[in-house]
Amino acid sequence: MTRIFTALPALLAFAAPAVAQDRAEVVATYADIAAAGYEDSLLKARALQDATRALIETPSAEALEAAKAAWLAARVPYQQTEVFRFGNPIVDDWEGRVNAWPLDEGLIDYVDGDTPSAENQLAGLNVIANPRFTLSGEEIDATEITPALIEQTLHEADAVEANVATGYHAIEFLLWGQDLNGTAPGAGARPWTDYATGEDCTGGNCDRRADYLAAATELLVSDLDWMAQQWTEAGAARETLMADPEAAVAVMLTGMGSLSYGEQAGERMKLGVMLNDPEEEHDCFSDNTHNSHYYDGLGMRNVYHGEYLRTDGRLVSGPSLADLLAAADADVAAELSADIDTTMIELGRIKTAAEAGFSYDMMLARGNAEGEALIMGAVDALVDQTRSIERAVAALGLDQIGFAGSDSLDSPDAVFQ
Amino acid sequence: MMTRRLAAALALIAAAGAAPAGVPDAVEDHVLPGMDRFAEASAALSETALADCRAAALRPAYHAAFDAWLGVGHLRFGPFEEDGRALAIAFWPDTRGMVARSTDALIADADGAVDDPQAFAEVSVAARGLFALERLLFEPGMADYVENDYRCALARAISVDLARMADELAQDWRADHAPAMIEADNATYRAPREAQQALYTALTTGLAFNADQRLGQPLGSFDRPRPARAEARYAERSLRNVKLSLVALRDLARALADTSIPQTEAAFETALDATTALDAVFAGVEDPQERLRIEILQQRITAISGPVANEIGAPLGISAGFNATDGD
Repeated sequence: MTRIFTALPALLAFAAPAVAQDRAEVVATYADIAAAGYEDSLLKARALQDATRALIETPSAEALEAAKAAWLAARVPYQQTEVFRFGNPIVDDWEGRVNAWPLDEGLIDYVDGDTPSAENQLAGLNVIANPRFTLSGEEIDATEITPALIEQTLHEADAVEANVATGYHAIEFLLWGQDLNGTAPGAGARPWTDYATGEDCTGGNCDRRADYLAAATELLVSDLDWMAQQWTEAGAARETLMADPEAAVAVMLTGMGSLSYGEQAGERMKLGVMLNDPEEEHDCFSDNTHNSHYYDGLGMRNVYHGEYLRTDGRLVSGPSLADLLAAADADVAAELSADIDTTMIELGRIKTAAEAGFSYDMMLARGNAEGEALIMGAVDALVDQTRSIERAVAALGLDQIGFAGSDSLDSPDAVFQ
Repeated sequence: MMTRRLAAALALIAAAGAAPAGVPDAVEDHVLPGMDRFAEASAALSETALADCRAAALRPAYHAAFDAWLGVGHLRFGPFEEDGRALAIAFWPDTRGMVARSTDALIADADGAVDDPQAFAEVSVAARGLFALERLLFEPGMADYVENDYRCALARAISVDLARMADELAQDWRADHAPAMIEADNATYRAPREAQQALYTALTTGLAFNADQRLGQPLGSFDRPRPARAEARYAERSLRNVKLSLVALRDLARALADTSIPQTEAAFETALDATTALDAVFAGVEDPQERLRIEILQQRITAISGPVANEIGAPLGISAGFNATDGD
């Protein structure tokens, strides 16, 4: 009781909404961070495109490793932008083209054995090996693998979400190949000769595989370019938020809460532990899941503190959600800040262990108590953080604006009511 | 049957005069009796399985346990979140065929975990709970197993595991979570509104789950309906699950409300009316006429949330918090 009673006068004293100007400044920082994050993602995707072009032009083990390194670097800024997805319909509607997961990779290329998913008839399609095929009763000519074919015909074909034909994870599969190690050490080990010309080609259809990689990378670049535009000074995403800073602050918290709880703690982390399934790793081909989770967490910290470290080392910063919340309720602000730091420590532990060789898929093995403890430590921290975000929503008087998960965000009215 | 801690908490609240409106009623009249019913039905299923694990023997007790689950399955917070219980009890929707893959793997390996309850509790959630058991008891080509078949041992292990989880849930609620919600001055529920919000979120999320998942999955799109995605269709429970869930959610709404809720009552009634004369597994999604009737049910369930917000959320000054289905 004491805690509430001491907090109450503070709440009453500062309950008057911070002036509108403050909120607009905080929202502007948020948009600045998004703009910088998507621009960094675009620049890193272009670097990835350069590296994949080099691989295709002059295939070699070194060129494949260079392309993988470029993919890993490209994930660092992109994962920090995931916090913008929930709450911003313009991002959520677009995101499936860029970061869809999990995927039935047999749609794209050869896979080991035959493990088509129960209800996806296209899980073993293998477009790279099959220039002509039937899709939902329609004859498809895939003799030329183009961005248009991938985006309009293959992606989410037959209305199955696991038919992921493009985005980071399709490219990841094309570079690493399937991880056949289960919950044992090791990532995918695609040989560079899958891109070799003539008789050196392994896996068959190396030219078509190269075409696919080139087309998918081109799509990633153009999709990120479009999103970066939406956050510039006259961009649609920024304008929507700036038009109603009150609702925009709710969007910021909605993004953090939905990513923390339903998406990251639930869908991506807890479910994997509960299924003991290495394919429940977010970056399952490359074994980069520890970084994906870590940078998702950091993205939320960026939004809260109004700070983002760009890939070139420059710091983007400005008036923050933390400032706004501290003015409304210092206790809740301090608590959320501490919770986010705890989450970063827990996610950092997973990253530390993974980088030392205890990879994320090994943590998922049935009966692996240490792995489960590491992952559930982060899950619990994310759940605690969510409770503090709910308290922040109440402290800022935003609780009548309503929360919405990604599913309900198709109707923007649900958020901006 | 009230525990001493619960009684003490209530006495404390009475003295402080700060009982969170609606929460004691919802916990005592809705949550705790529902948990007890689920624990009892799961215990009966487990006892049946220990005596005879063949499909025909287990089916009636299975249906009773599933019915009881629907009375509480929407309460996805607190004890349900611990150890992934909600997932381990009811792993659905299963769009990637994990239940089939995981149960097949156990059967193919004749995995010894079925002989050790502790080891079985570590098995993938897709091979445990009501949906793994549905596969064994109802799926064509699966349910014909005999007494000494591995599948019989697996059905027994799933039943025993389910009873264990249901018992733990009921105990955790009674001993810890119910008093914490009613007291609403602790680390979990810092203020009455937080306990109210947890129950209110369960109500709105439960409604959305019926509309978006139980109906949305088989509906798919007009051009691509998905009858094979209907929940528990081998056990022919798809429609039954929606009905029982709506009845349970109405029960929660009544308990949580401070006053009478005529609009909400009417909205539930209208939705329940729309469940009559639909086929048991939503096979009608492929037929334009039948599909329309299923879509109408979906719309009516969605339409319950307005009155719920007006008659329950607004008077309590709360809106829904984040929920476990916020992801994609």
